Amino acid sequence: MREERKFSVTEPPHISSGETVPRAMLDTILALVPVTLVAIYFYRLNAVFLIGVCLLAAVVTDAVARKIKGRKPSVSDLSVLVTGLILALCFSPLTNWWTAVFATVLAVGIGKEWMGGLGWNRFNPAAFGRAGVIVLAPVTVFLNRQFAGWNVSFPMSPDVVDSVSGATPLTMIASPQMTLDVPHLQLLLANPGGGGLAETSALALLLGGAYLLYRQHITWHIPVSILGAVAVLTTILGHNPADHLLTGGLMLGALFMATDWVTSPITDPGRIIFGVLIGVLVVVFRVFLGPTEGVAFAILIMNAFVPLIDRLTRRGVFGQLNAAKAAAAKATATKAA
Amino acid sequence: MSNGTFTGGIHPPDYKEATSQLAIEDIALPDEIFIPLSQHIGAPCTACVEVGADVSKGQKIGDSESFVSAPVCSSVTGRVTAIEKRKHFTGQEVLGVAIKVGSQEDQAKTNYLKAIPAWEEADLDELRKLVREAGIVGLGGAAFPTSVKLSPPADAPIDTVIINGCECEPFLTCDHRLLLEKTEDVIVGSLIMKRVVGASRVIIGIEDNKPDAIAHMTKATASYPDVTVTALHTKYPQGAEKQLIKATIDREVPMRGLPMKVGALVHNVGTALALSEAVRLGKPLIERVITVSGPGVKRPCNLRVPLGTPLNHLIAHAGGLNAAAARIVLGGPMTGWAQADLSASVVKGTSGLLALDKALAATRDEYHDCVRCQRCVRACPMYLYPNFLATAAEHKQWSAADKDGALDCVECGACAFDCPANRPMVRFIRDAKAAVMARQRA
Ligand code: SF4
Ligand code: SF4
Repeated sequence: MREERKFSVTEPPHISSGETVPRAMLDTILALVPVTLVAIYFYRLNAVFLIGVCLLAAVVTDAVARKIKGRKPSVSDLSVLVTGLILALCFSPLTNWWTAVFATVLAVGIGKEWMGGLGWNRFNPAAFGRAGVIVLAPVTVFLNRQFAGWNVSFPMSPDVVDSVSGATPLTMIASPQMTLDVPHLQLLLANPGGGGLAETSALALLLGGAYLLYRQHITWHIPVSILGAVAVLTTILGHNPADHLLTGGLMLGALFMATDWVTSPITDPGRIIFGVLIGVLVVVFRVFLGPTEGVAFAILIMNAFVPLIDRLTRRGVFGQLNAAKAAAAKATATKAA
Repeated sequence: MSNGTFTGGIHPPDYKEATSQLAIEDIALPDEIFIPLSQHIGAPCTACVEVGADVSKGQKIGDSESFVSAPVCSSVTGRVTAIEKRKHFTGQEVLGVAIKVGSQEDQAKTNYLKAIPAWEEADLDELRKLVREAGIVGLGGAAFPTSVKLSPPADAPIDTVIINGCECEPFLTCDHRLLLEKTEDVIVGSLIMKRVVGASRVIIGIEDNKPDAIAHMTKATASYPDVTVTALHTKYPQGAEKQLIKATIDREVPMRGLPMKVGALVHNVGTALALSEAVRLGKPLIERVITVSGPGVKRPCNLRVPLGTPLNHLIAHAGGLNAAAARIVLGGPMTGWAQADLSASVVKGTSGLLALDKALAATRDEYHDCVRCQRCVRACPMYLYPNFLATAAEHKQWSAADKDGALDCVECGACAFDCPANRPMVRFIRDAKAAVMARQRA
């Protein structure tokens, strides 16, 4: 009974954990489902429409941008869907669809593909798109004029309409004239405040973050140091830290944008430095520069320093310290002799 | 003293249940064996028999003058039919001795070495010489000549002999079985090592996925004051020398240094058994225990196999391959060698023969750019940044790969196992190693 079959020869290891990029992206989308559902509960079809627009724009931009480079669309790795979804969650339900499309094109076309594609992009694509439409306000104004009258909006319950048309919680805490009139518990659990879709429930975001942590897609270092730095600094500055932790895109940014694999440091100490500095920047933006979407800018600024942070915080090889010690001991011994 | 583990590593499923409770079986002799003249790290041997010569079991058939080498001996009584190049498990051709196996009665004729039953008083150099003549090498896979390891220089005193009973590679259970079935030999073998290098204690490290072996060895070593058993948290690659030293005695071998720098000597369970048999019975290293397993094998088993037996013969004993077999691996699935067919023969370092099915056999032909997920960084037991190292290697940036520690990589494969981008990390790193070493020689 001789076995005559031929088998493929490949290098080891011959087994793998089964982790894949699409699986991780799918996990990220799953982690965002709770907050997406809360947003849809409050904003109804407005949220569905905005998310749909961003996802569609992300897929189309990816296909076009990659076609230009002569490559196949990368939608199957699901990462453009993650970018589209996070971007949609950054926007308020009243955002015009063309602004959302513009942001998505910036995020996927420039922030990701033009910068080298998944793995090489230096800046978090969603943060890039979100900040891009703010920086390129003139373009948005131009678009507003072009598309005036094309706006799409759907009915919402009267309570929600009331709170959405008022000041957002972020504006309240960031303007000296105003005070936050929404209870913290409500911000934590469920609140239609007119800010980004993701601002409807910090708890839903935390649930998603816990799932990513459990699946080992993220580590605690970045979220804990961002939120910790914001809490400590705002306390020192005499604010109520809960005001800051629960408002604006901070939770979404700390758990889902700053933790983006490609654009965050790969060393643990580096991740802490990265997170603390993002926290510092967020507080500076909010406290000293008024009500801006400081989180996206803070993340982008720190994204630029990732290669440097990585280089400065690399660990030594196994036994390197001992090898150095032995060399030093030998040097002293020879000197003594 | 012991922290029971090391930093980094991965937790692959261990797939050991198929064979861990199966006693070691003997295998019927094949018609012909082929013994490669180079099956260890170091200088290859030259044949010291001629075609047509009758050899008996245990007789030396190849040797080398070089210090870092080990002779090879015939595992059967029979007649030399050829001295030629044949396919080795590495895929390359290697010179070896083909022997037609004699009749069953012939096998009683043996040509063993002179045993040293009074090893506790014997001259140390006598013992070392016997270990060398017996052709003993590390049986964990690396196949480094044991006599060399037992001759440490005077300026590096060794205080601890560590017996590697981790068997951290999935599927393999041969060391596990040896701990249970060859208990006394393993202990005596380790005590001989301890005496030869002048150490004061023996520590047997066993992973806690083998509670029966831990309990059994703890009981068996109770009457030996210098021998202790340490249970280690199951994690791959705990059996790697430096990681095992860290896990058992919490000493960190200096970068690119040998274990003796921290007073430790690590030997595998199988090596301890071979040493005991050589010293007490004069039996050279002519057989070893191999786990034949995997979903592609009809009847997984642990086998005692004469060296030189063709892989085909092992598989036949195991009931043959089933239709699901998709990859044949010699050794463990993390570091073993894929085989194109079953024509190679068993050598000293062969610990397993696995047939994986399609679902298990990883292919890394299609892969993505690194997405910086950090998994490989968390997994690397050598504290490297496999992501940077492999990317540098992929782009043939050899100086960068050198700086990123290409030569410090132990090729454990932990990084590739866990990479979501499916990157062929070990292939990249091997390329880099070869290039960096070629440049150093130039
Ligand atoms: S870089 Fe080398 S030592 Fe580190 S995990 Fe990968 S194969 Fe193992
Ligand atoms: S595991 Fe793979 S994708 Fe992740 S950092 Fe390492 S090389 Fe990159």
